[in-house]
Amino acid sequence: MSDRTYEILFIADPNLGEPEVDALAAQVQGFVEKDGGRLQKMEKWGKKRLAYDVRRHREGYYVLLVVEGTGAMVKEVERRIKVTDGIIRYLTVRVDEELRKAERRKAKRALGEEKRRGRAGSQPARDTEVQP
Amino acid sequence: MNGESRGIGRPSGRGGGGGAGAKGGAGGKDGGGKRYFFRRRKVCKFCADKIDYVDYKDVKLISQFVPERGKILPRRMFGTCAEHQRKLTEAVNRARHIALLPYAAE
Repeated sequence: MSDRTYEILFIADPNLGEPEVDALAAQVQGFVEKDGGRLQKMEKWGKKRLAYDVRRHREGYYVLLVVEGTGAMVKEVERRIKVTDGIIRYLTVRVDEELRKAERRKAKRALGEEKRRGRAGSQPARDTEVQP
Repeated sequence: MNGESRGIGRPSGRGGGGGAGAKGGAGGKDGGGKRYFFRRRKVCKFCADKIDYVDYKDVKLISQFVPERGKILPRRMFGTCAEHQRKLTEAVNRARHIALLPYAAE
């Protein structure tokens, strides 16, 4: 089993400045790389309003990391995130399997559509005549 | 609804949305089955838009299924298919955890 793909989304304390949030993101990236993971993508969503209060904060910086690695890596990264100040909430989701499934379904649908179009083009009239 | 005993006899069904259409069309005579004829057929939005992966980060999409109160719209209201409703629920719960969506209205 090779490495899996995970999305780590975390919310940083809104009282931090931009550079500090960048530093936090780099820190999390460091956690990932230390345990043999690879960073695929990093997205900073900026400061957003939270849907409800989290640790008495109404806002937060959202940072998303898409990461490749093992389950053990995720466990360690989550442990480290938990003890990191400035991160008020995080979520890790494994995405590779779901995305692969979606991809497959898309391919299947494209194939089916092609088939249907082919059939409709070739002999639709004859079919209707036979029926009555 | 309009005092028609058959209508009351088959309650829950697929939601009460189509009452108005049924009134004009089928009349009282034809019986319960026909009442459903004029109802607009509900199609799963995810199937129609060919969305295979319901992303919890896509708040714009998800929030269509979560009215202000914060509850997930039931299938009978929106016509989502079982598979997509399941995926939607998962996505909503993830979005809630990360404070993109509310657990309940304030």
